Amino acid sequence: MLNLVGRRALYSVPVILIASFLTFAFVRATFDPTAKLRQSRESASAIRAERVRLGLNKPLVDQYGSWLGRFLRGDWGTSERTHEAVTAQIGRALGNTTQLVVWGVLVAAVIAVGIGVYSALRQYSLLDYTFTGLTFLGLALPPFWFGLIAIEFLAVGPKQWFHLSDPPLFFIGLHSGGGGILDYARHLVLPVMTLTVQIVAGWSRYQRSSMLDVMSSGYIRTARAKGVPRRQVVLRHGLRNALVPLVTVMALDIGALFGGLIITEKIFSVPGMGKLFIDSLLAGDATTLTAWLVVTAAFIVAFNLLADVAYGWLDPRVRVA
Amino acid sequence: MHRWLRRAAGLGLSGCALAAVLIPGPAASGLARRVASGGEIVVGAEQEPDCADWIASCAGSSWGVFTMQEQTMPRVFDVVARGRQWVYTPSLLMAGPPVLSTDGGTQVVRYPLNPRAVWSDGAPITSTDFRYTWDQIAHGTDIFDRTGYDRIASVDDSDPHTAVVTFRTSFAGWRQLFGGVYGIYPSHLLQGRDRDNAMKDGYSWSGGPFKVQAWDKGVDVVLVPNPAYWGPKPKASKITFKFLTDTAAEFQAFQGGEINAAYPAPEPDAVRSIKAGLTDASSLVNADTGNIEGLWMNNAVFPLDSVAVRQAIAYSIDRNAIVRLLFGPLGVSGPSNSLNPPILAPYSDQHAFAGYHLDLAKVRQLMTRDGWQRVGGLWQKNGRTAQLTIVSTAADKRRELTEQVLQAQLRRAGFALTVQNRDANTLFGQILPAGSYQLGLYAGVATDLDPGLCTVFCSSNIPTAANGHSGSNYTRTSIPALDPLLQQVDTDNNDATRVQASKAADRILAAQQVALPIDPLPNIAIWSKRVSGVRGDNPVYGMFWNLSQWQLQ
Amino acid sequence: MRPPTPAPPAVPEPEPVGPSELLPSVEPPTAVEAQPGSAGQLFWRRLRRHRLALISIVVLALLAIACFGAGLFAPYGRDEQNLALGAVGPSWQHWFGTDELGRDQLSRLLYAGQISLEIGLAVALLSTLVGTVIGAVAGYLGRATDQTLMRLTDLFLVVPAVAVLAIALKKFGHDRFTIIWVLAALFWMYVARVVRAQVLSIKEQDYVEAARASGASGAWIIVRHVLPNCVGPIVVNATLSVAAAIVAESTLSFLGFGIQIPATSWGRMLADAEGTVGTSQSYLLYFPGLAILLTVLAVNFLGDGLRDAFDPQRGDA
Repeated sequence: MLNLVGRRALYSVPVILIASFLTFAFVRATFDPTAKLRQSRESASAIRAERVRLGLNKPLVDQYGSWLGRFLRGDWGTSERTHEAVTAQIGRALGNTTQLVVWGVLVAAVIAVGIGVYSALRQYSLLDYTFTGLTFLGLALPPFWFGLIAIEFLAVGPKQWFHLSDPPLFFIGLHSGGGGILDYARHLVLPVMTLTVQIVAGWSRYQRSSMLDVMSSGYIRTARAKGVPRRQVVLRHGLRNALVPLVTVMALDIGALFGGLIITEKIFSVPGMGKLFIDSLLAGDATTLTAWLVVTAAFIVAFNLLADVAYGWLDPRVRVA
Repeated sequence: MHRWLRRAAGLGLSGCALAAVLIPGPAASGLARRVASGGEIVVGAEQEPDCADWIASCAGSSWGVFTMQEQTMPRVFDVVARGRQWVYTPSLLMAGPPVLSTDGGTQVVRYPLNPRAVWSDGAPITSTDFRYTWDQIAHGTDIFDRTGYDRIASVDDSDPHTAVVTFRTSFAGWRQLFGGVYGIYPSHLLQGRDRDNAMKDGYSWSGGPFKVQAWDKGVDVVLVPNPAYWGPKPKASKITFKFLTDTAAEFQAFQGGEINAAYPAPEPDAVRSIKAGLTDASSLVNADTGNIEGLWMNNAVFPLDSVAVRQAIAYSIDRNAIVRLLFGPLGVSGPSNSLNPPILAPYSDQHAFAGYHLDLAKVRQLMTRDGWQRVGGLWQKNGRTAQLTIVSTAADKRRELTEQVLQAQLRRAGFALTVQNRDANTLFGQILPAGSYQLGLYAGVATDLDPGLCTVFCSSNIPTAANGHSGSNYTRTSIPALDPLLQQVDTDNNDATRVQASKAADRILAAQQVALPIDPLPNIAIWSKRVSGVRGDNPVYGMFWNLSQWQLQ
Repeated sequence: MRPPTPAPPAVPEPEPVGPSELLPSVEPPTAVEAQPGSAGQLFWRRLRRHRLALISIVVLALLAIACFGAGLFAPYGRDEQNLALGAVGPSWQHWFGTDELGRDQLSRLLYAGQISLEIGLAVALLSTLVGTVIGAVAGYLGRATDQTLMRLTDLFLVVPAVAVLAIALKKFGHDRFTIIWVLAALFWMYVARVVRAQVLSIKEQDYVEAARASGASGAWIIVRHVLPNCVGPIVVNATLSVAAAIVAESTLSFLGFGIQIPATSWGRMLADAEGTVGTSQSYLLYFPGLAILLTVLAVNFLGDGLRDAFDPQRGDA
């Protein structure tokens, strides 16, 4: 088991290194860090001096080497857009995105497991069909359209129809000036809903199919035959085993969420990783973008690893092997 | 200074309240109860400034000026309305008007300082601060724009109460120095330190009515009164600028009472919301701005290297229809007819381009005389078709509407138009400097009351490989008769001859049709009826020029 | 990202990258034992049993006919403006209303559909082609080639797709063809993995061994013996990519990297209507969204039906 984890962790290192090099080269090829100087009408010699200072005159591999050295020491550079330390920028953005991710994953997990288990136990019931239909709908909704429609019908609409002074749910940022738990919740509902629709749809399908697999397996039938109460069979044996594949999928999905909420954060003005990406991209802020891409890739790799570990740990067949 | 400043999706800063239109909303509904009492005003800000070091290249956002700079940085001149004109007037920092002398051909300006003027820590604002400011801008690295400061030879601070500024070459726009969107920096706090590092994330000192209490990045900026301010004390106890980067969200927040005032860019979404009527609100629309949205032409590429073709294009376009479409609901109807924005009316011929209006017969005449033939609905010359591309800022609804109307209008006149929009950064950082475009739709912005078209039309400012692509003459205008006139506008300290030169330049620009002005990008201000003290718009400082007089009832 | 250790049976192999906002998390087509020789009638019989898939085929066909025949069916021209009319809600003259330029939204929706479907189909085709070649070569040749190609696939899966897309479009501009090849460049990995898994399981079978023994070349064996047995997963994956590409294009439009006006796609129409939320023009938001929803739904149902039809062993689960 430890051997397995170690092997996979070791394998992650070259992947992230090569990914970071490609990212670095890609961003370098796309953005000119001195473009801003040209706009501010600096002289040609000043621009040349800046290119030398940034090391842009050196071969790409050298540039990457010195960037990597600094990156590993925690010096991620200074944003060309805001002149702020990139570590501070990304730290702040991660804090906000993490709130969305944590709440989103919690909500999605509870709902998806609920739907999955119910659908599997009551296969072909009316509700099962309804859930399946909703799942397909959830997978087919363009996520930003869902967000906008939700604002229209759950925030702006009710406010106009019932002449409220506030919309019942907020859609700007994570909190208003006042604060408070209720205020926080009213800000969270819409973005969390928007980001969970697809996840719930995907996870509940997984949960349903793995629950069906487990419930039709030999040991469940044996347990039932031995007279173990249905409730206990479902919870103790069925659910527990059926959760194994879902946990793996969840870990993989969560890793992708840290860099994957660009749309949700844009719609709901959440100053997280997605918004940082858009701001940096539109400003051509190469230093921030490089670090951003490497950090989000690292999240994906780390959660992939976590998925492997969780899988090996939860599934006895792998542990034995 | 003629700059390309950033404001929301487009560009902009400025205006005056001449064309103010009050749009009352329907019957008042409930009180906006979310806003705390005690004179705490919340204002929506459409764009978050990237940094608060106003002279660095990371600044240059008009919202940086609105939210922090103008409330905290002392300046030599205020910009105020006098009659129908905007003029410079000495600020409270001055003990009297600055004195200009040009004896012996050397330009010297003496600034008498108000002895009561102090920084928030009680230290007086002195001539050393002038010296420090000049030194930073003229000799610092990574500076947004050095115009003017690079002409200063020295700043004499031997008398702390009089700054004596000596120029190397004469500079007619000297009133924009030590003020505008830069301000004066406290040398006693910054000398010997890394200025950029000390200021970029916000700073607690102030030489204005407010000081920055906190800048919560991505969320808001909070201003509180500066107790040491020697001028009239602010009435509000707290001003919060809340960043709402989405126009629709901004209007929803205003209607919901989450914000008490907003200064939205004139995007179709904003125009639509205002037309629909706002509840319990006052609003103001001002077309007398420092902006000029235009159709800029690359004078160096086929077929726009021909004056006749540029003129024919101008005659193909119904600018009235475009302005009516974009701003008709706001009461703005006529197009702009000068490449100088409305606030520079004293220095410009605001009717220079009035002769260009939709006239297809004229198009036919000009094109035929230039050797073109109409084949299959499109003009052709020597086997080349009049196929044009236009660039602008992507995802900008207003500009995309304009482009599509232009497309239809030009098609009717025999020109095919293809749109190749890119994000603003790519457009202004690469495409325009490289000259790899034909037509461009964007705005020029004046941030002061001095004409300065040399930066965008003098042949010496054409971006080339030799100057590191750093000039701003994106149209690649090169007219021998124009250069001396525009240079005179920059250097002539005699106002009468300066005005003459500027107007003559305007007429040459129109005759050569180097670019076609379209509209002045009206400024829109909206505020809750509960906020009193809002007194119209300002070409440099927006609706926030008298923020200290605002209060919430 | 996952080392090539075979997953235990009966457990669905998780997709390496989960539901990002770009790629709708369609259930991954599980690698299944194909049935040599059992295609044909059996396939159609099974597909016909899948009623939703049949309805989907009809819906997609109707949509395609309406969109590609827009020149015949659209009540107004694609860019026909009516500035005097401006934006008005749905009426008898304009079923789906008009936009600020007075353009008929129904007509625009049909013309936009051409582009959305074109992008969807082109991306599916391109990515399937690239993915199949890479997957087949990796699986068949094995060893170093396999390692290299699969590590390459891993790399593409590690970086957030939307981000890379947006950066690429900022660099290269965003006309239709750039959007297509950039999307295809980020869609091929899924096909490659599925095909590789198939090839790995097929290449050890007797008839392939026999072909190899009789001196057939590697390319011939792949084309003649291996690929026909991968048709199921490849077709299912290609079908689902059509939907994914349409949604991805709409996301890019929303980020400001949509195709250039006056051409428009459903995604672009949707993105343009963002600011109408909560105003009298919010009708502009509904129809393009519904068009995407309907198309993606139909494509997913069809994919589901195809999967069942290709894979008789796959139960309802």
